[in-house]
Amino acid sequence: MLKIHNLHAKVEDKTILKGLSLEIKPGEVHAIMGPNGAGKSTLGYVLSGRDGYEVIDGQVELGGKDLLELETEERAREGLFLAFQYPVEIPGVSNMEFMKESVNAMREARGEEPLSAAEFLKKAKEACKQVHLPLDFLKRGVNEGFSGGEKKRNEIMQMILLEPKLCILDESDSGLDIDALQVVADGVNSQRSPERSFIVVTHYQRLLDYIKPDFVHILADGKIVKSGDASLALEVEKEGYAWLGGKAQEADA
Amino acid sequence: MSQWLEQVIARGEQANLTGPRLQALTALKQQRWPTRKSEAWRYTSVTPVEQLELSTESAAPASPTKIAGLDSLDLVFIDGVLQQQLNTLSLPEGLTIQALTTLNTEEHSATALFAQIKPAHHLFGLVNDVLAEQGLIINVAPGADITLPVRIINLSSQGKESHVRVVVRLGEQARLCVIEQGEGQDPCLHTYFAEYQIGAQAHLEHYRLALHTGKALQVGGNHFRLLEKAQLSSTLVAFGSDLSRLDVDIEHAGEHAKAKFNAIYLLGTGETFDLHSCIEHAVPNGTTEENARGIVGDRAKAVFNGRIHIHRHAQKTLAELNNRNLLLSRRGQINTKPELEIYADDVKCAHGATVAEIEEKALYYLLSRGISRSQALIMLNFGFIQELINEIPNAPLANWLHDKLRHKFSQMEVK
Repeated sequence: MLKIHNLHAKVEDKTILKGLSLEIKPGEVHAIMGPNGAGKSTLGYVLSGRDGYEVIDGQVELGGKDLLELETEERAREGLFLAFQYPVEIPGVSNMEFMKESVNAMREARGEEPLSAAEFLKKAKEACKQVHLPLDFLKRGVNEGFSGGEKKRNEIMQMILLEPKLCILDESDSGLDIDALQVVADGVNSQRSPERSFIVVTHYQRLLDYIKPDFVHILADGKIVKSGDASLALEVEKEGYAWLGGKAQEADA
Repeated sequence: MSQWLEQVIARGEQANLTGPRLQALTALKQQRWPTRKSEAWRYTSVTPVEQLELSTESAAPASPTKIAGLDSLDLVFIDGVLQQQLNTLSLPEGLTIQALTTLNTEEHSATALFAQIKPAHHLFGLVNDVLAEQGLIINVAPGADITLPVRIINLSSQGKESHVRVVVRLGEQARLCVIEQGEGQDPCLHTYFAEYQIGAQAHLEHYRLALHTGKALQVGGNHFRLLEKAQLSSTLVAFGSDLSRLDVDIEHAGEHAKAKFNAIYLLGTGETFDLHSCIEHAVPNGTTEENARGIVGDRAKAVFNGRIHIHRHAQKTLAELNNRNLLLSRRGQINTKPELEIYADDVKCAHGATVAEIEEKALYYLLSRGISRSQALIMLNFGFIQELINEIPNAPLANWLHDKLRHKFSQMEVK
């Protein structure tokens, strides 16, 4: 599914990723944890192709294709989905219009007919219910005036509608209370399948109680320094990142 | 002095003017032809007016654009000439509409109603005072609720100069909706000024669709006076042309009046649009909300001058003015100037102006969902003005504008 080899990337003049390698097979859930500044969010931005995040070395393949050669929108159409830590508010563009354009762009890329307004509305309503958002959210501007939790649920709703191959969840748990966390986790779990893979980026072990990972990786100073199973997350929760020693402190600085 | 203005004055002198029209002629003689040094015309050149070549050939018959689903009472002027016989119209009770030409032949000159609300400092307003032979006087009786919108359409054709004047008076507690729609693209000059008196507790829903474009020159104004507890909701939608200039004046003359003014301008390659608005809070307890938003294309130029004047006794005034602009090209230009003059101490007043380029974060968000770059740009930038379209209460009009503006926008390039 996803193969990252020796990835180096910089933002402006600062190198953030310093040789990150990771392989994810279909159906697997990988959690990435790590101290602030380790490069967790950068990984999501680099993979999705955000302007200003420059790859200086390494390779990334998604489903056998060279991901780094593709434009942002082409990567999305190849099935890469990034649930943002801080989703953008776009007043004036309704959630409905946004998601319909998006779903139909994906369908077009797969050679399918676009959904009619009525067909889309039906799907959107179901997804809306699944993440416990009131239906009038579809009419409102994209994320406009949504609370932190509503924005995160909106991301999960998009994930459900877009049916991606690889989902990257960037701190989808941050700022959520326990009920909202449950809704987000349920949404994610409902989408788990043998064909779909997940990268769950999180600061805390808590989310992983709800979304059980197959693997846990610790990212520090731009590369993966330790990998293990779910028990690694518990270890981190208990002991923090102090054992990383100099590396973590350097990244925090 | 320009030749064009001299010729206007000469025509005025031959016309045996009286009352406000005579005063306008006198004032006009003292006016200087604007140059880049004139504050009111600092960024917009009137040279195209002087260069306009008039034609005496009769124009091809034009017909006004239909707005699907809109039921309205249409009054059409082609090159300044009213096309309907008003006495054949059946009007809702409480609404009277008279043509300026008919009224002028009667004992009292209808032109005595001119310039009661429009301030005297607008140069082309004075020109219109002097030259407008055609127009409408519209009255709404106290308490009358006129649900059928009155649509005043001005069509301009090649080589024609036209001057139309409208005076509207709403009695106490009356309600009216007026849509003013101007269209033309060939070289021509059209001036259109409308004065509105909104009586106590009366409500006016107003639209000005200033859609002259290309080589068509349009200069005009909307001037509103609000009496006690009157309400105004006005929406301006403008394209640009070689010269397109509007002056909007809103005067709070009675307490507890509410004015809402939204302006949208969408300027294609090389077009110019200039909006000057002036809100006068002369009495306490008035509320004004003004939002002007524009998208400026390649080598296009927008001018926005928004003045709010709160007089010394106008305590408890609430006034907000906001101007947002989006430049689609480094070669586009926007000159924006909010001007606050506040002489009362117990008021809430806010203003702001922004000029933005495409927002990277929002664009990235849409791209990351598989939406193509060109479609994302349309969604983002159009969303910016769509917010104001969404506020239009008249649904058929809002839909029509949405399609028309979106179509124009889709043809504009982002550079």
